[in-house]
This record gives sequence, C-alpha cells and structure tokens, in this order.
Amino acid sequence: MWFEFAGLARQCCATRQFLHFASYALQTAIQQHHLWQHPTPAIHLSSTTAAQPATLPLIERRLEPGERVIARLQTDLDRQLRFQNGLLVLTTRRLLALEESQEEAGQIRDWALAEIESLELEEMGATGALHLMATGQPGGSHWRFTAGCIREADAFVACVMDHRGALLSGNPPVESQTAEPDVDDEGLDFSDLVRDSQRGNPLLRLLMFSRPWLPLIALGLVLTVAATSASLLSPWLTGSLVDAVLIPIQTQSQALHVQQITPYAIMLLGTALLAWLLKWGRSFVVARIAELVTSRMRRDLFEHLQRLSLIYFNKKRTGDLISRISSDTDRLSMFISLSFIDFVCDVFQFVFTALILFKIHPLLALVALGPVPVVAWLVKCVRVHLRSCFAASGRAWGIMLSVLTDTIPGVRVVKAFAQEEREIERFRQTDHHVYATNDRVNRTWSFFSPMIEMFTDLGLLLIWIAGAWTVAHGEIRVGVLTCFIMYTSRFYGRVEAMSRFFASAQRAAASAHRIFEVLDVKPDMPSTEGTQRIGRLSGRIEFRDVKFRHGARQIIRGISLDIAAGEMIGLVGASGAGKTTLINLACRFFDVSGGAILVDGQDLRDIHVEDYRKNIGLVLQEPYLFFGTISDNIAYGKPDASREEIIAAAKAACAHEFIMRLTDGYDSMVGERGQQLSGGERQRISIARALLIDPAILILDEATSSVDTETEREIQRALDNLVHGRTTIAIAHRLGTLRNANRLVVMEHGLITEIGSHDQLLNTSGTYARLHQAMLEVSHT
Amino acid sequence: MKTPAAHPDLQRSSVGALAYTDVTGKRHDKVLPVRLFPLTDPNRWISITDLQGQELACIEEVDGLPDDVRKILLETLAERDFVPVIQVIHTIRHAELGCEWCVTTDRGQTRFCVENDESVEALGGGNVVVIDQHNTRYRIPDLAALDAKSRQKFERYY
Ligand SMILES: Nc1ncnc2c1ncn2[C@@H]1O[C@H](COP(=O)(O)OP(=O)(O)O)[C@@H](O)[C@H]1O
Ligand SMILES: [Mg+2]
Repeated sequence: MWFEFAGLARQCCATRQFLHFASYALQTAIQQHHLWQHPTPAIHLSSTTAAQPATLPLIERRLEPGERVIARLQTDLDRQLRFQNGLLVLTTRRLLALEESQEEAGQIRDWALAEIESLELEEMGATGALHLMATGQPGGSHWRFTAGCIREADAFVACVMDHRGALLSGNPPVESQTAEPDVDDEGLDFSDLVRDSQRGNPLLRLLMFSRPWLPLIALGLVLTVAATSASLLSPWLTGSLVDAVLIPIQTQSQALHVQQITPYAIMLLGTALLAWLLKWGRSFVVARIAELVTSRMRRDLFEHLQRLSLIYFNKKRTGDLISRISSDTDRLSMFISLSFIDFVCDVFQFVFTALILFKIHPLLALVALGPVPVVAWLVKCVRVHLRSCFAASGRAWGIMLSVLTDTIPGVRVVKAFAQEEREIERFRQTDHHVYATNDRVNRTWSFFSPMIEMFTDLGLLLIWIAGAWTVAHGEIRVGVLTCFIMYTSRFYGRVEAMSRFFASAQRAAASAHRIFEVLDVKPDMPSTEGTQRIGRLSGRIEFRDVKFRHGARQIIRGISLDIAAGEMIGLVGASGAGKTTLINLACRFFDVSGGAILVDGQDLRDIHVEDYRKNIGLVLQEPYLFFGTISDNIAYGKPDASREEIIAAAKAACAHEFIMRLTDGYDSMVGERGQQLSGGERQRISIARALLIDPAILILDEATSSVDTETEREIQRALDNLVHGRTTIAIAHRLGTLRNANRLVVMEHGLITEIGSHDQLLNTSGTYARLHQAMLEVSHT
Repeated sequence: MKTPAAHPDLQRSSVGALAYTDVTGKRHDKVLPVRLFPLTDPNRWISITDLQGQELACIEEVDGLPDDVRKILLETLAERDFVPVIQVIHTIRHAELGCEWCVTTDRGQTRFCVENDESVEALGGGNVVVIDQHNTRYRIPDLAALDAKSRQKFERYY
C-alpha cells in the first residue's frame, strides 16, 4: 500500500506536474469564485456601448472630399446633465457636433472654422461645459461632460483654437502639425478595463506568487503524502490483526498463540514512529513555506508602495494599507501553513480512502459515500455567503486601523479639545463593526460546521447498519468491517477538513485579493517613466505654460517662467494660490496636465526620476523627521555622509548650537516624527538635511515660517551663502525672508500676476504692494 | 448669525448668468451660488460668491425666498449640480483600478470606476457617497431604500 502511495508521490514530485495538478485541483475544487469572475453584465448600456467611436463613421460619411478629421472629443452628458453621449469633431475645415438622443439616430450640426468666434471651457463644479460662440448664432452652443472628459476637452479646445488661428492667419496648418490628441487614451474607452479585470482567482495568483518555492512546496507535499500514507497503514494492520489473530484466538478455531500479536504490534509501532517523523518534517517545511511566501509578499508590498506616487497616498488611508501589509499577509500565512498543504493532503486521503473502501467492499463503500454530495452542496451554498463576510471583515479591520492611525498621532489635539470620549466612541463603533463582521462569519460557520458533522455521523450510522447486515449474511468478517469503519471515519474526517478548508480558502482569497489589489496599482506617474540618466544639473528650470488639475478643478492655469541657473526666486501669494502645487510639479511628485517643465533644457518627464530628485533639496512647511538620531536625520539623503559634512550642514542651518546643548548631542533621539524637538528645531534639522546633499535646486516651502524671527534671521544669513551656486525657489509669507531673491513671483489663483524685484513690485502697487502694506501694518500694531 | 438683508437681490443678467445687487446697491454681473453642505444638507445654506470666490451673501433657507428669486437660484444651481443619485446597482466588479460600477441613476445609466474602498463613504443614516476615479460624486441617499438585489451587491463589496 505504502509503495503505491510513494510511487504516486514520486510522480507528483516533478515540479511542473505538481503545479499543474495543484492548480487544477484548486480550480476544480474551489470552482470559480463568482466574486472575481463575474459573467459579463446582462444589461446593455446604451450610453457606454455608444461610447465606442462607432459614431465616428457617421460623421466621416458627412465629410466633404479633401476634408480630414483632426481631433475629436467624446462628451458624455446632454444639456440637462443626463448621461448621453455626443461627439465633437474638428476637421480641416469645420467643427461638427453629433448629438445622440433617444428619439433620433443622431443629429449633426456643423460650423465652418471661420464662423467660430470663441470656444471656451468652463468648469462647473463636478462637470465641465464647452461654450461655442459663432457668428449669427446669438445664444451660442453648449456641451456638457463629466470631469472625466475635462482633460480631453482642454486639449480639444486648444487644438480647435490653434487650427482656427492658423487658418485665419492664412497659413493653413501643415499636415504634420495636426496631431490628433489621444482622445480615447483615457477614461472613455471602457473595453480595456473590462478585459483587464479578469485578473483571475486570487488563490491561483497566490500559487503563482509562490512559484520560486516550488521545490520546497513539492517537498512539503511529498512529506505530507508520505505521512498520510504512513498513518493510513494502521487501520489496515489493525484489520489484519483482528482477522488473522484476535478472532481465531477467540474462537479457538486454530491453535494460535497470543505472541502472534507481536509482529503486528511492532509494525503498528513502526508506522506510528514513521508517521510522527514525517509529520514533524512536514509541519516544519510547510510552516517555512508559509513564512517565506508571506515575508516576500510583505516586502513586495512595501517595495511597491514606495514606488507609488503621492497621488495614491493622498487617497489611501494609512491604516488600511497597514492592515493589508500586516494582518492580511498574516492570514495568508495561516492559510498556507495550516490549510493549503493539508488540503492537498486531504484530497489525496479522500481519494485513496475512497479507493480502499471500494476495494474492501464496493456496496458498503457506496453507502458510505452517500452523504458526500449533500455535504458538497452545503459547502457550495455557504461559500458564497462566507466570501462576502470575509471581505467585509477585512475591510472592517482596515477601517479600525485607520481610526488608530488617525487618533494616536493626533492625541495632542484630542486632549486639547477634551474629546477623549468622542474618540473612544469612534473607536468603539469601528471595533463593533469588526466584531459584527466577524460575528456574521461565525454565525454562518457555527451553524454549518456541526451540520457537516451530523451528516458524517449519519453516514457512519448507515455503515453500521449496512455492515451489520452484511456480517449477518456472512458476506464479510467482523475484522473487515472494523477496518472498513475505521477507514470510513477517517474518510469523513477528510470531508470535514475539506469543508473547513473552503471556509479558510474564502478568507485567504479575500486577503489575497486585498494584497494583489495594492500590487496591481501601476506606479502611476501618468506618462512614461523617464529613462534619461543625469548627473548634477546646472539648475535651469523652465515652466512652459504649465497647467495642472486636481480632478475637475484647475489649480495651475498656465504658468510660464524661466528660472536661470543659480537664480533665487521668491514665490509669494495668498494661501491656496497654488504655490505648493507648483513646486510639487517641479519636484515631479505629480505630472503636469498641460504644458511642460524643462530642467537644463530637458523635459522633466524624460529624466530618470531618482536621478533628478538627487538634485533637489526640499524643505517643507511641516518638517517630517524619522525615528532615529539627529545625525541620521540630517544624513537622510546621503547616508554615507561624513561627520564633518553633517556638522557643516547643521551649522549652515543654524542647528549646530541647539544640537550641542542636547545631552546626547548629534546622537540624540528625535522620537517618532521628531516629537521631542520644538517646531523650529525640527525645521532647522530639515533644512540641514536638504543642504547636506548639496542640491543644484533648493526648494523652500515656507521653510522658515515656524521659527522665531531671531532664528529666521540667522537661517537667512546662512542661506545667503548657501543659495550661491544653486537655483532656489523659496515660498515665504514674511516677505523679508525673500529680500535676497533675484526676482519675486506673485501667484494668484493658479496664475502668475506679477514678476519683478521688490522695488519694482512696490512701485506697480499691485498685489505685492498690498501684501507688503498689510505686513507693515501687522508689524506696527 | 443671520444675513442682514431679508433676502438677497438676485436677478438673471442679460447673458443668462446670475446677477446680484448687494446691500450697498452695487451690482455684480456674474455670481455663483455654492451649496455649503452639498451632500448632507443640499437645500439649505447656499452661499453667493463672486467669480474670485468671495462670499457676497449667504442664504440659510431657500424656501423662505420669494418665488422668482428662488426659481432663478435653483435654476442656476441645477446648471452646476451634478451628483447623480444611484437608483439601481446592476453590477459591481473588480476591475483593473478598483471596482467598476454599472448603475442606473436619476440621470440615466452609466458606468464608473471607484479606485479605493476609501472612496465609498458612509455619511450616517444610510446616506452613502461614492466618489469615482474622476472625483465625480454619486449618492445613495438611503441604503435601506435600495432594492434588495442592489443592496446585496453593494454590501458584498463595501
Ligand atoms: N490633493 C489635492 N486634491 C485636491 N485639491 C488640492 C489638493 N492639494 C491641494 N489642493 C488645492 O489646490 C489649491 C492650491 O493648493 P496649494 O498649492 O497647496 O496652495 P499654496 O499656495 O497655499 O501652497 C488649494 O485650493 C487646495 O485646496
Ligand atoms: Mg503651501
């Protein structure tokens, strides 16, 4: 018997075969998770099916000879803001508009380019509008669309106006200039989305993820099968013992001695020892696989998170990400170590026990298998339910952690406003949510699990009845029946274990899904990742009609500014004007939505991001220090900096003095987020950190706003020396901070309104003069 | 604090925009009404701002306005309002970026993509806001009032 199993195990040992087998087993056993593999929806969305450029041919048929389509814009709302598709097409001569409506197949209107007086894009809250003014048409024409189309609309308007301008000025555009903006590049075409959504069952992906450890998994499997086979031997031996020794002794039919038991006993002991050894090896190997896989998963997750852009983190809750990295991977580890290999082993046992049962007595085996279809049906029913319960439970956990990561760092504010009770209540609620979702799982499970047991007990009862009958008719001997019953109870043990597996598989699938969801987020620098490697830049920055949107809202509305290498620019403007956004663009935390930023004449999007950031020293308004010593924090951007460099940077940032006074000097721990230091001290350390990397471009975003005037003056003096030889962009509200700036740039509502030196701007009596006046008034009162 | 004027003096200007005359008699040719609580209390607290976003007046109670003013105000608001109310959820399924929703709203059928779990917010009392990939808001005013199938689909995912 054992050899039979071993032979099979050897066969499965061939790794590829194993994978094949395992994935097949998984696939068939778990069937298809409806959750991840929905059939295509039955309903047909007239709006989205029409969103395909299927309407374009309609327009193309209307073109005059020689007329060509230059650009097109898909709109998705009608004028009453109902979802309805429309199409605007710019050709070499005209602007055509196709409106789809329920009643008509599509009505086309057109304007010659020369008739167009203006075409303007207006943001109207969550939607956008295009207003067309044409000669002889008093009210104008209007189109509406959702925020998803605004970028394209912007490009389209630019394209139309360019084209019209070129046409009117008498130089019809050259063919090559009329590039078609990529209208169906984003948002509009849902077909890609649907295709990509079939990323497959998360458990299969987990298996794929585990590929590097296949040899180990195969070993685990072999050990599992061997251990199982060893334990399967004992009923067989027991059966033989009963029939060959015990019953003859009892019935005295043969002159047998009790000592005949000895070889059986030794063999039973041997199998027990063997099973113990094999199980020991198996548990160890399987647990190691689980840890290896999930440790790699955690690392991959963290690595992946580090590559994601700021936009992603703006949207995500920290607690949720933490729960994915910690508790979801932990659940997977439990699943792999406790359930997965066991399941494979259970399947083996299930199949082989069934075979043995049939070999012993086919009819009895048939009776024994009776409850199996019922159990299978039950499992199927409960699975759908469990699946959503587990997903909800994972989310609830994430929400709870989010509350923690929100309140614990904010504990000062909580205490200051005496809102402890409220936070306790908030946590209580989220915790209750966790409780409730887990309770839902348990309610289902506590009902379901005994139910399976009941069916298996029922099965055993059937066997006893049928067995008694067969024994009575002399068909089998009592020993065979004993052996049969032992196998059957084992068999049901497997059935129960497998049904438990389906539950834990649902939990694992939910967790795996949450993990792969993060891993599937593309590092979303929207355009291509730059490849151009660069060394040290000279620091010339050119903004060319830069535009930027957050969703539908345009934050930067077209900024052009040329900053020479080594120049210091002071950026002023009311808060909310878009200053921080502008430097975020300059650091390439976000990509521009229009125009371009060039450094040393190269488009920022072509440059390798990390190379570029090595050239940037950034000091933020809210300095963030990491857990560690002061010198670690100063050397954050250049871990191999010498002590000398660290001290020089600290001196330059006027931090040296106060660091000296600390008990541990540069070795002082700053605490989490630098909480053991004052705001001004943190600020100075972050300035030192930026200076240490000797950046070609220094960016100070209200860097000195939280230090006292005295310290600011000191830092100012330090900066005076340091801005030499590097391009500096400094944002400050205290205008005095910017007295060394070569030029001051005033921003308002995402536009530059004034540029000039301090004196020039004072004389123009514009915004800057007003700000200056206001500041003087404040300091005089 | 109540606004001093009994009701703000709103008119429709010749170009069709909303115009406002303030207490000093100064006329603003184009003003924008802004709902201050668009999700939780859309019909009260409406601010009248100029194009730079400076508040000129604030209306607490729309119902208290004279009919003509209210009509103009609501019309202008309707031009800018876009928070479709989800009536039926056909499917929600995992897509490349988060979940793809396929719904019928009070503004017709549509599909949209919801990137994160965080984009589905419960505002309390069964009032749920769904924010799609492009920052468009969709509302489910009362989850309990949704038909059972839609609610099931919603609950399976959120
Ligand atoms: N992540 C974001 N999503 C949406 N809007 C944002 C985001 N970050 C900033 N904004 C908006 O962009 C505008 C400009 O912000 P910012 O550049 O920080 O102004 P400041 O000039 O004070 O530095 C503000 O009105 C702000 O509300
Ligand atoms: Mg700022």
